[in-house]
Amino acid sequence: MTIQKPLPVPNADNKIFWDACKRHELVFPRCRECGNQFWPAAFICPACHADQLEWVPVSGKGRVYSFVVYHQAFHPGFESDLPYVAAVIQLEEGPRFLSNVINCPVDQVHCEMPVSVVWDDIDPQVSLPKFQPAA
Amino acid sequence: MTIKDKYAIAGVGYTPQGRVENRTTMSFYLEACRNAIEDAGLTKQDIDGLVLYRQFQPVPGEEEITPYAVAHHLGISPNMLSQEANCARVHLYHAIAALEAGLCKNVLVCYADNTKLGNLSEAKMQSQNQVFGYFGAAGGYAMAAQRGMHENGTGPETWAEIAVAQRRWAALNPNAYLNGKPLTHEDYFNTRYVVEPFRLVDCCLLSDGGRACVVTTAERAKDMPHPVVTVMGMGQHNPSTEIVQSDWMAGPTGAKKAGQTALSMAGITLDDVDACQLYDCFTYTVEMTLQDLGYFNPGEGKDWMRETGTGPGGKLPVNTSGGQLCEAYFMGLTPLAEGVMQLMGRCGERQLGPATGYKDPEIILCTDNGAILQTHTCMILGRY
Repeated sequence: MTIQKPLPVPNADNKIFWDACKRHELVFPRCRECGNQFWPAAFICPACHADQLEWVPVSGKGRVYSFVVYHQAFHPGFESDLPYVAAVIQLEEGPRFLSNVINCPVDQVHCEMPVSVVWDDIDPQVSLPKFQPAA
Repeated sequence: MTIKDKYAIAGVGYTPQGRVENRTTMSFYLEACRNAIEDAGLTKQDIDGLVLYRQFQPVPGEEEITPYAVAHHLGISPNMLSQEANCARVHLYHAIAALEAGLCKNVLVCYADNTKLGNLSEAKMQSQNQVFGYFGAAGGYAMAAQRGMHENGTGPETWAEIAVAQRRWAALNPNAYLNGKPLTHEDYFNTRYVVEPFRLVDCCLLSDGGRACVVTTAERAKDMPHPVVTVMGMGQHNPSTEIVQSDWMAGPTGAKKAGQTALSMAGITLDDVDACQLYDCFTYTVEMTLQDLGYFNPGEGKDWMRETGTGPGGKLPVNTSGGQLCEAYFMGLTPLAEGVMQLMGRCGERQLGPATGYKDPEIILCTDNGAILQTHTCMILGRY
């Protein structure tokens, strides 16, 4: 029996994000006051402190800003994935997002490589945005 | 008005350290505190401030480490109780601010741990990031180091210099966990990856045991058993932003401004620094701290280290106890305690001085970091 990986636990600040993931949409909060689109979600804009936020879809395209390759499982649920890549994705529209790079040999992942979002449907309630090499 | 040389670290408390069986976390706190009090020539009644580092998950069945629990078992009722949560490295700030305001006379600073659950490597990350398998301080720092490789051209060749040099210091320290376990460059590159680009030898130890020190006025320290070691300068910079969203994975980190503030308060330049005791949770942290302090330009660390030498016999000793990488991990008290002990002349075989080809040290720069390159403190100590 495989041990389950941790699942997202949505909270009042980020529920909209995880609900959009179910629809295979990647959305991020954007400040109506100053236009800052940021992550992680928060009650106020970190740039200007206004609390009028809208959730705006992004294209899902970006580049790997940085990445690491796990060779050791820090949680038993990831043992069978070793080695796997965790990466900071610089999305075209501005926000940075921590995710995985998949569908790519780990030794081919590199900084600045173009990627695009691909959805990992865990169950009917949860879809995770992951990234794979783009053309 | 300046605090330069007004305050001193007058006593240091050690405990058995490394893998120590049959001891609770609290027992290490108490032993370290008791030993520091004794080392400063004080009694428990003299301690009127207690400042603790953060604590991780309590070991099941063990008492949670709170400052009042530690005070209770020490049999003291201090005027100031403090425990930083989540890596704000304010311990010396709290101690010195309280002393400066006349609220305390002798402040005890302590950290101890019992690593039975090995929980340091699973330092809490946002639950959201855990769903992607992103765990541990190693994950965060390795992420920064990868970007450093990309932007600055640094990498394992540089970090091997750090790991090997510190292991050579540990060889001179009988209390270092990795004493008697030499490390060559070849050994470094043959070591397995944990979170690439970090190998096991790029990562600090997990240690059972504790460390404590007593902070007081330089005036009072003159009447205490050991040579007076003062705080010449202190600085902090806390960029705070989580590493994923930061723009300083490849530097400059908070170490830059923290260092500038401390050097300015001390009224010195890097040329005056005899040795550095740097928070070394990872080899990359040491590289970035030295780089951000101004010892070399981005990417030039490897050549600088080979030319300058940071190990025994080198021109700028770094982490002379072996550090968190090779001696023991007790948060910022690992570098701070060693800085104090070197200036007091109590370091035995690894003591900087004529016997080891150095002048007696007068100024040692120490750093303390927290979270993932989010909090930084620089403390410059001087032989009074």
